[in-house]
Amino acid sequence: MENDAVNASRGSLAHPDIKTMAEVNVDVLKPLSKPGKGWWMLLGLCVLGIALLFWSWGIQMVQGIGVTGLTSPVGWGVYITTFVFWVGIAHSGTLISAVLFLFRAPWRQSIYRVAEAMTVFAVMTAGLFPLIHVGRVWHAYWLIPYPNSRFLWPNFRSPLVWDVFAVTTYFTVSAVFFYLGTIPDLAAARDAARGFRKKFYSVICLGWRGTDREWHHLSKAYIFLAALATPLVLSVHSVVSWDFAVGIVPGWHATIFAPYFVAGAIFSGVAMVITLSVLVRKAFGLEAYLTIKHYDAMAKLCLVTSMIVLYAYLSEFFMAWYSGEEVERAAFWQRLFGGYWWATWIMLVCNGFVPIMLWFKRVRHSIAALFTISIFVNIGMWFERYVIIVTSLHHEYEPFAWGMYRPSMVEMGIMVGSFGWFGFWFLLFTRLLPPVAIAELKEVLPRPMKPVADSSFVGTGSPPGGVSNG
Amino acid sequence: MNDGLKRRDFLKVVGASGAGAGVLGCSTEKVEKLMPYVTPPEEITPGVATWYSTVCGECEAGCGMWVRTLEGRVVKVEGNPNDPVSKGALCSKGHSSLQGLYNPDRFKGPMIREGGQLKPISWVEAEEVLAGHLERADNYYLITGSTGPSLTELVDSFAGDTGGKILNYNPLDHGPLREASRIVFGRDVVPWYDLGSAKCIISFGADFLDGWLSPLRDSRGFSKMSAVGEGGFKGRFVFAAPRLSLTGQNADEWLPIAPGTEALVALAMANVISGGTAEAGPYQEIVDAHSPEDVAAKAGVSAESIRRAANHLVEDGPSLVLGPGIEGQHRNSTAVNVAVAILNFVAGNVGKTVDYSSPQFGASSRSSSYESMQDAIGDMRTGEVPLVLVHAANPAYALPSTSGFKEAFGQVSFKVSFSSAMDETAAMADLILPDRHFLESWGDSSWRSGRFSIQQPAMQPVPHFDSKQVGDVLLSVAENMGVGSGNQSFYEWLRLQWQSKAATEGVSDFEHFWREGLRTGVIDTESEFESSSSEALRETDRALVFDSPEFDGEGDLHLMVYPSARFGDGSMNANRPWLQELADPVSKIAWHSWVEMHPDRAESLGVQNGDVLTLSTDYGALEVPAWIYPGIRQDVIALAMGGGHTEAGRFANGNGVNPMDLIPAEVEALSGGLVHFITKVAVTPTDDRYQLASIAGSDVQSNRPITPVVSLEEWTRGTTEHSDEGGHGPLKELQGIGGFVPIETEGLPENFPLDGSKHGEYGKEDEPRWAMAIDLDKCTGCSACVTACQSENNVPWVGESQVAMGRDMGWIRMERYYEAVDATQAGPVDIRFLPMLCQHCNNAPCEPVCPVFATYHTPDGLNAQIYNRCVGTRYCANNCPYKVRVFNWYTFTDEEPVREGLGHIPEPLNWQLNPDVTVRENGVMEKCSFCVHRIRNAQNRTALEDGVLAETDVVTACQQTCAAEAIVFGNIKDPNSKISRISKDQRSYRVLNEITNTQPAVSYLKKVTFHEVVSEGH
Repeated sequence: MENDAVNASRGSLAHPDIKTMAEVNVDVLKPLSKPGKGWWMLLGLCVLGIALLFWSWGIQMVQGIGVTGLTSPVGWGVYITTFVFWVGIAHSGTLISAVLFLFRAPWRQSIYRVAEAMTVFAVMTAGLFPLIHVGRVWHAYWLIPYPNSRFLWPNFRSPLVWDVFAVTTYFTVSAVFFYLGTIPDLAAARDAARGFRKKFYSVICLGWRGTDREWHHLSKAYIFLAALATPLVLSVHSVVSWDFAVGIVPGWHATIFAPYFVAGAIFSGVAMVITLSVLVRKAFGLEAYLTIKHYDAMAKLCLVTSMIVLYAYLSEFFMAWYSGEEVERAAFWQRLFGGYWWATWIMLVCNGFVPIMLWFKRVRHSIAALFTISIFVNIGMWFERYVIIVTSLHHEYEPFAWGMYRPSMVEMGIMVGSFGWFGFWFLLFTRLLPPVAIAELKEVLPRPMKPVADSSFVGTGSPPGGVSNG
Repeated sequence: MNDGLKRRDFLKVVGASGAGAGVLGCSTEKVEKLMPYVTPPEEITPGVATWYSTVCGECEAGCGMWVRTLEGRVVKVEGNPNDPVSKGALCSKGHSSLQGLYNPDRFKGPMIREGGQLKPISWVEAEEVLAGHLERADNYYLITGSTGPSLTELVDSFAGDTGGKILNYNPLDHGPLREASRIVFGRDVVPWYDLGSAKCIISFGADFLDGWLSPLRDSRGFSKMSAVGEGGFKGRFVFAAPRLSLTGQNADEWLPIAPGTEALVALAMANVISGGTAEAGPYQEIVDAHSPEDVAAKAGVSAESIRRAANHLVEDGPSLVLGPGIEGQHRNSTAVNVAVAILNFVAGNVGKTVDYSSPQFGASSRSSSYESMQDAIGDMRTGEVPLVLVHAANPAYALPSTSGFKEAFGQVSFKVSFSSAMDETAAMADLILPDRHFLESWGDSSWRSGRFSIQQPAMQPVPHFDSKQVGDVLLSVAENMGVGSGNQSFYEWLRLQWQSKAATEGVSDFEHFWREGLRTGVIDTESEFESSSSEALRETDRALVFDSPEFDGEGDLHLMVYPSARFGDGSMNANRPWLQELADPVSKIAWHSWVEMHPDRAESLGVQNGDVLTLSTDYGALEVPAWIYPGIRQDVIALAMGGGHTEAGRFANGNGVNPMDLIPAEVEALSGGLVHFITKVAVTPTDDRYQLASIAGSDVQSNRPITPVVSLEEWTRGTTEHSDEGGHGPLKELQGIGGFVPIETEGLPENFPLDGSKHGEYGKEDEPRWAMAIDLDKCTGCSACVTACQSENNVPWVGESQVAMGRDMGWIRMERYYEAVDATQAGPVDIRFLPMLCQHCNNAPCEPVCPVFATYHTPDGLNAQIYNRCVGTRYCANNCPYKVRVFNWYTFTDEEPVREGLGHIPEPLNWQLNPDVTVRENGVMEKCSFCVHRIRNAQNRTALEDGVLAETDVVTACQQTCAAEAIVFGNIKDPNSKISRISKDQRSYRVLNEITNTQPAVSYLKKVTFHEVVSEGH
């Protein structure tokens, strides 16, 4: 009866199809067994993508940054677009795992592992792009403040330096947070694995035994890190937005940028979580864990952020008109009807109009529809950054210096390759780490009526008493 | 990075040129005396420049030059301030002569054709071969381009001794102008025009700012005439021609007259002025027969506009009328020049602003008419001519293909070229005797009768090329043939010439006279110089046809072929990346050719910029991309000379088309000159497109205060607002409410450092604040500053594909905006130029965004760029509202290009690099430095002397070369400096400052227009 009450209190987020905690272990750890043909093919594809990325980058390093389509006046293009895209993707991971954790939103439990992994890999991908972008990558370390004989410091007034701090901090915190949350599950994997894999998990689970003391420390650390990571959700993308807002480029120089970018980041991130989790769910048969309820919740988050983003777009156009400033007005006129009109309209349609469908419950409850919409949003959000960067730069103050930018094959190669890089890590993740948080999932399951005899199933992977105090 | 100078070469050059006053050659040459300008040669110190004065050999204008040499190699040329022609200025062509000197495609040595291939040969053998051919030949032709007086003497005597006929060939010959002068005043000369003394100028198409006669002197004169002066006077300039050249773009009013109607309009103006009196002497009847009303319909402009222009000629005091340029030479162009001479006479300009008595180019300058070239071609075609010598000319390229020169030249059994580098004529030659570049050789030049400049070598011949001066070759060949004068070298010949000249001048101490001549670069003789006297019009029996000529061919599109603003005729100087990459001052297109077409015409043909068109005339056809230009009449299309080379070297070959393939080789009946403007053309669009390498993003300002103007009336009233600092009261209020303290929006250049800046040594009392002011009323858009800067600052060229992408690296961008251009009726022209360079903002947006401090502000107010520190994030360029920061997308400074077609500096072009300025590599941002190395040099120099930095000590490269003297540079904190006075002028404004609050150190002075300008956006 008590369990029913617990289930009732957890409302619709219980997993009606899951019977026992043991089943959770079996289901979640199943993907960690021998991979199938499809996985290898995907991995092969991703490796090809990585090869493309580094080959293109190699060409660029040997010949010069001129192999891109960048030019004057458009000094930033696909690289920075893709950088912001990946940083944005990263955000929902932290949002789902840390913010929703602090706010006790229990629906996060099934998806947060995927989201966190996505965060870490997306930041790893994003971090490549500033390096790819700069003219002399071999001197890129000058952006880091390190002691040197000439007492040279980076320029702390430059948003690019803030970026360095923001992105590295973000990577560190999200990686640690990710790892910390995985430890009990790694132990569960260790318990289920044999041979080399057992050794591997033994090492990386740091000898987790599932004692009360360990659980206590883990949950303390977890909540601290969650608290630490939460401001980063706001700060990192705010800093990224200041890369633009601090500039005096018409189309960049707007106070709305920080909230606008944060909302956009969460929007794109949630969309990416939907995309990836739908794939993982399908591939590993996790339908019982990732239910329609979860998708419904994510779709609502998407819808809210989409509206914020659309509002930001419209307010930008309005402010440009309302300012009466010729240069500003011309920049936004160009955005809608100039040489890059198509990019702007892709952005508006994908981010502003397609997600309107999420108002309908039927859409929110159709995995296929959500998947399609999430792809639209991913595309739209990439184009949002493209529009902000390229259309603003190509039509600035000095009419005689206006010009067009067309991405080169090298840039496209690196951009496409970055998906390979991301996919490579993500695929490894699906095989090496439990894609759903076993321990936390068990918290929302009905407690077993009596202690299960075979402790190995519950054992290390379950918090004591089945309820985490974290 | 390989600087390209081998140690061996370096030692050779230093050793050679350092050996005191006498410079020992490495071959059989005699000791020659070089006179540096200020520093005695014994004091050659590595890193300290030695300057020589010489004279520019790029065109017939003969501008005096100063040559900067470092460690024995030439690194920069500048105008010679003592020289009355250049007065220190130099044009793009002049600057690019360095790339002629170090042209990597120069011949390595003399060559002879054996079995169809050119094979190296020694000079001794080569001269023997030539002597042998000369001895056997009973007649031969010596085709020579413009040569100085002494070389002309030598060539004359050589041809006389060896039985040759001389053809002085100048592709841009002023035959009709000379002939008209002969007809009207009995003098076969190019008259001397004094633009500076005129108060009103009418040009019937003469592109005097850009290549016609003496562009630098005329630019200075024009700037004096047309820019508002102290007295509030501004001279009016009316341009009457079917197409606006760069000169036309600087006009105040344009009469877009129909092709060929210059004479009618000129006579109609004379008619208005003479008003029935008999001022026009023997031509009065003709003048009376051309009332503006009669002419108006034919000329396509209103009688009213003709009257108005004519009235300005007399009302404004001494005026000046200039005839058509090369592009306007049609079948009746002598008559046009006669009509212009009559108009000048009637307006009372002869003897005031037009001088026939001591003409342009001096007496020794002459050129044979195209007619005599045609005769020679006829002779050669028969196969009877055994020998032709070609010097300083490239007729196989520059003559219309229908002239048959190439075929006829091919019939000559032995062809000798003195060309120093391969060109279309040299490619056909059997013997090549490479001449020296003018910076390596002796000579002289006469820019006006009685006025001379001495050309002295500024360095030892570039060691990569075994060249010999043509004078030396002729002397030694004459010696071989036994007809020598006993002179060992051309240097001796030159001195002898001058000794005799000095004797007639009554000079006692020749050595002193010679030394002074070399030092200053200028020699004036009085005996040949006549002061002007009044002239009277003479009658003539020549049949003058003033009416517009019939144009050949069908249709209504007239083909205008004009000398390129960059290359002139382009026959000898096209293999220079600086010139190729310089955006044409009119079209803003680099590298390729384009055909200019009126927007309405383009619309009716469905043509857009870059659409490839087939142009065909009765004489030929070619394909060329279109460029739509409002400054050309609907019934005219125009093509520039200088493109379409096939044998001129790696940088020239294959760029564009040669328009001479489209025009007939027709002789103008009266002058014997070549007719350029005579054919109609059929235009057929093709399906192809060509991306022209244009630097123009937009031709209009889009309501931004980039180049505001002030009308003359408003300016005279003195009521112009200091618009720069105007407005924005509400903004400040808002900022106050916001609680933050804004950067002072009133910050003037001299207010540097800004209040509250706490970095380093800022704000020391005695620290200067460097600033620049550019007078847009003077600037003509000629773009000489662009090339001067490129030469001074090692700015690389990038290649056509890169310019087309927008990656040109010029530190100065000569912007051009159309405000008012109407080709359908007479009216005001308002085309504005603005040299855009780094504004060295007090509140620079580029500085805070650089993550590594690669750009920062120096205590003396420079926006510095540290190449070594630059990582290449390009944020600074994004954040620069002026877009003056240029990025090294590749390494453009290696000897080999990174990829085919990209900029590179092959040996020995890299000898030109200025050692004072870092050579940049891939991935680094750069921009105008205000010539910081020149500032520091001046500071160091004066620190060793008296420690007082005079205003004239610091001169930037662009300022130095500006013929219009539009650029002023200096310490704006010094209240007595010129810059601080000028920047307080009521015309002064700073670009975009009121929008961006960048507080630039560069002020511009508004252009002054005659017409009222309605709205300026702000």
